[in-house]
Amino acid sequence: MYPQLEISQLATTLFSFLLVMVVDASRAGKSCRSQACGSSLQRSWRFTRLLHKESDDLLKIYKTSQGDLSELFCKMSMDNVPDPDISGLDPSARIQSMYSHIKTFLPHLQRVTEQQTDLQIFSNPLLSKLSDTYSRTSSLGSQISCIYQMLFPNSPLLEPAGEPTPLPLSQNIFQQKVYGCVVLKRLKQFLSNATREIKALKHQTCTKGPKPNIPS
Amino acid sequence: MDTFLSLVFLASTASGTIANYGMIQPQSPTVEIGKNFTATCVLYKDALSTAEDIYWTNRNTIEIPKTQYTKINDSAVNVTITITSNTGQWLYCKSRRLLSPVHGILLTKEYPPEKPTNLSCEALQSGDRISSYISCTWVSGLKQPVTQDAKYTLFVLYSNTLYKNHTQRGMGIVDLSTFPNFMQLEIWVDEENKLGKVQSDRLDIDANELVKTNPPSEVKLIPEKEFPRSLRVEWKHPIHPTYLNLRYHIRFCTASSKEWFEVPQSDTENYTGSFRLQDLKPDTLYLVEVRCIHSSKGGHWSDWSKSVEARTPEAKPASKPDVWRVIVPMEGRSERGVQVYSKAPVESNGKIRKYDIRFPNKNWETVTVNNTDLDSSFQNRKITVFRKIDISDSVTAHFYVIAHNAVGMSPEASLVIPKISQDLPHVEALRWYNNEGKLWVKWKHPINRVNLTEYVVEWVSVSDGKMDWQREHRHISQAAILGNLQKFKHYNVSVYPVYSGMAGKPRTTVAFLEQGAPEEAPTLRLKRIGKYDVELQWFEIPLDKQHGIIVNYTIFCLLNGKEYLTETILPTTFSYTLKSLSSHTSYEVSIRASTINGSVDSPGTTFSTLNYAKGEIEGIVVGVCFAFLLCVLVVLILWFKFKSWIKNIFWPDVPNPSNSTIATWSPDFPSKPDTPKEGALADVSVMEVEADMLDSKSLFEEEKTCLPLKKDKYLSEEHSSGIGGSSCMSSPRQSVSDSDEGSDSGQTTASTVQYSSVVATSGYKGQTPSLLRPSQGPTQQPTFARSESTQPLLDSEEHPDLLGQEGSGQTQRYPCNPYFRRWPGASEDGGQPAAEFSHLEMEEQGCVAMLRFSPLDEASQQTTPTEEGQSSDGQPADPASSYIPQLNGYRPQ
Repeated sequence: MYPQLEISQLATTLFSFLLVMVVDASRAGKSCRSQACGSSLQRSWRFTRLLHKESDDLLKIYKTSQGDLSELFCKMSMDNVPDPDISGLDPSARIQSMYSHIKTFLPHLQRVTEQQTDLQIFSNPLLSKLSDTYSRTSSLGSQISCIYQMLFPNSPLLEPAGEPTPLPLSQNIFQQKVYGCVVLKRLKQFLSNATREIKALKHQTCTKGPKPNIPS
Repeated sequence: MDTFLSLVFLASTASGTIANYGMIQPQSPTVEIGKNFTATCVLYKDALSTAEDIYWTNRNTIEIPKTQYTKINDSAVNVTITITSNTGQWLYCKSRRLLSPVHGILLTKEYPPEKPTNLSCEALQSGDRISSYISCTWVSGLKQPVTQDAKYTLFVLYSNTLYKNHTQRGMGIVDLSTFPNFMQLEIWVDEENKLGKVQSDRLDIDANELVKTNPPSEVKLIPEKEFPRSLRVEWKHPIHPTYLNLRYHIRFCTASSKEWFEVPQSDTENYTGSFRLQDLKPDTLYLVEVRCIHSSKGGHWSDWSKSVEARTPEAKPASKPDVWRVIVPMEGRSERGVQVYSKAPVESNGKIRKYDIRFPNKNWETVTVNNTDLDSSFQNRKITVFRKIDISDSVTAHFYVIAHNAVGMSPEASLVIPKISQDLPHVEALRWYNNEGKLWVKWKHPINRVNLTEYVVEWVSVSDGKMDWQREHRHISQAAILGNLQKFKHYNVSVYPVYSGMAGKPRTTVAFLEQGAPEEAPTLRLKRIGKYDVELQWFEIPLDKQHGIIVNYTIFCLLNGKEYLTETILPTTFSYTLKSLSSHTSYEVSIRASTINGSVDSPGTTFSTLNYAKGEIEGIVVGVCFAFLLCVLVVLILWFKFKSWIKNIFWPDVPNPSNSTIATWSPDFPSKPDTPKEGALADVSVMEVEADMLDSKSLFEEEKTCLPLKKDKYLSEEHSSGIGGSSCMSSPRQSVSDSDEGSDSGQTTASTVQYSSVVATSGYKGQTPSLLRPSQGPTQQPTFARSESTQPLLDSEEHPDLLGQEGSGQTQRYPCNPYFRRWPGASEDGGQPAAEFSHLEMEEQGCVAMLRFSPLDEASQQTTPTEEGQSSDGQPADPASSYIPQLNGYRPQ
């Protein structure tokens, strides 16, 4: 009957609850658990698939939220947006590439979330889904890291060096909308590639048992 | 109280009204239950006390034994107590030299925390995703009493991120902002109080195993015509499979039974959206529900989906119809009326639309059934009644029935009715009981069980006459009636043994599915009310309102609202006489009808016992009448027996004056009167004055006794009675003498006195009606006959000529004589009838005359010397003598 009132109450409740809850983002002592290769990669594959599905939903919601010219925005291209392609010749490099891409996408996702928070009303589900995607993408990075540590325990997973795709500076609203759509499209494409990559990795590594750590 | 005193103490201390005498260490500690606790009391100088004066109390009044004290120095003492659940909140240090406590501390009692157990968490589906809230429950390790300082913290760790939340005891929620699908979580709980902190075991779990999804949506149940024993179930997944891989669980039941059957989970463990139920009953309504769970071993089942229902298609009847009969003997005829009934086959597999029936020696007949709205389940199997026919007692009748539904026909059922002479044995010892809400009948097998194939249990509702039956196996000796029986209804249940299709003789009993209090009480009627009893009558409660078997009636009799009598009566009795009641008393009586499960009371009826029993009054009346009649009879008998004697008493014979010798003595009268009339005899009274009766002494004494009365009671003379009246006061003769005294005073001295019989009006007029009748009187001179007595003559006798002059005065005295009152028929004034002679008039006349008496006369009478033969007043004693005969009756002369 009063949707705004309900939303307001919901937001108030959520805010109160968040005040009570303390999120301790400190590092836990044990970051990865020793799991079987198959189950670990299977879980990561399913998670990536879920993330890919959610990125598809997110993109649809994003387009819906941007107004009439949303399809036009998304057909435009823009520089300085992470590349969705996974590179590398061996599993280690490809895993490293996935991890680097994830780390690269995260600040762009954060920027899009900030921009859309300014553009959309608080109750727009786009905002919560953007937040979820950011959180899941971050979790995917942790999982990739664990897979790497599991498969290549003697090789450190390198953090991306520098900022290959620097965040855009000031943008107008049109640019923000175009930017957001491009980021989400690239992310969706990346996740699709990652899904395939992890599934292939599972077949390559887990069926034969974990490969020994071979320095590249 | 303890707390209150402590607060007062603290408040007083804070306000500075009480000096600070010392301190206890530690201050307000948390102590562990079951452990020892030691406190130290240190005295200050202001206390003016030493360690010897210190004593400790707990609960304010209970002094702790000195054995638990340890003296540290002259101003400090330790106490060690074992903390229990009964230990008081406050521990005081007191001095025997001080009125107020030295110091007090508040003990907070707790148990140390133990490890929380049974941690379990779940995350619910929210929309098309899983909610980010994880709710957990556990068994707290903190025992009661739990203080407000206890803390509970729920932790969730995943992806190097730790989430925590302070929660309630035993349950809590953590918001992870995004549900961590496909993440491994670590969840644990910390509980702490002032005595310590304990962490539960960590729950290491896949986040998806916490999920409880919504139940499957859009569940459909689809019948397929070509598969009458199958239904296809379809549903939609509650959540996208990328989130959760689910497995399903299906259960189904018939609409009539509600008994659920589950499809083996192994058949639905694959991620699927449909399933085919098989081996179902045709034409049966089924209900189906589905739920789901994460495909791995853990997780939480969703709730069951909403029930969906569908009916399986029809199939050809697979069993025979159930045929039964009711046989009604026909009076005066060697035939039986047979009514055949049929219920649809147990496996009718569809709605029975018609029956084919073949009666004995007849062709097949078709009976259409209109039961389209009925289910083919047992409880709703409609009974079809075929036409009633008469069959001979001497033949065995065969009936054949076939049922049809929309698909096909059933196998043929047969019913055999043996000839009446065929004596088939019945069951033994039929009885009934209730168990688990059902009516059970139990019986013993017939002695001869040859050819026994089955039993038929038949029940008939007494209230509406509805009949139904069921068949039981030949080895069964008790069965629950499966029909739709109603509570409190009266049923006649019969058990028939069936021998090769022929039913034997039944055994019947009255039974109830459940007994209750009767719906209404019997109407109490007062049939007869007696003096000490009342006869009550009531009628049996109608069978459909008894609601059970009446075990007894109880009659309550109340007197003034209190129970006076209670009588319990057999259920077969419908009248009763209450005895031992009191007469003419109001009672209230009511009756209670009881079954084993309740009773009902009739409204009270008030009555009063009779004052007299029935016939008692009549008896009294008859008795009194009889006694009266008896008395009358006795009187009559006595009358007739003693008639003459009584007559002589009340009406003595008066001698005929004519026979008196005076007649010959008087010169003026002939020796024999001329009037020998009979009446004249009664009018003349002759007084014979006897010398012995005229005893002067006695007379004198009598006269004396009368003297005072004379003075005052002259006027009351008329009140004296006649014959039996007073001899002095009422004496008319006295009056005569008095009156004569004045006029004839000189004669009183005469030595020889002539006596005369006093006749005329002063005599017994009633007895001399003819001669002295007043009607004749005025013209007739009074007659004085000289008697032989010594009574002096009156003036009138000596001077008859003066009578005419003094007539008025003389005659007016006469009415004072009571004999005038009895004069039956005449008056002095001649011509006046006796009835008109007024009594009052007589009294007035008489009294006026008497008023003429002078008191001087009386004085002269009293002062005049008397002589023998004379009265004291100088008068001759004739008045007294004249009355003697009256007192003693009139003696015959």
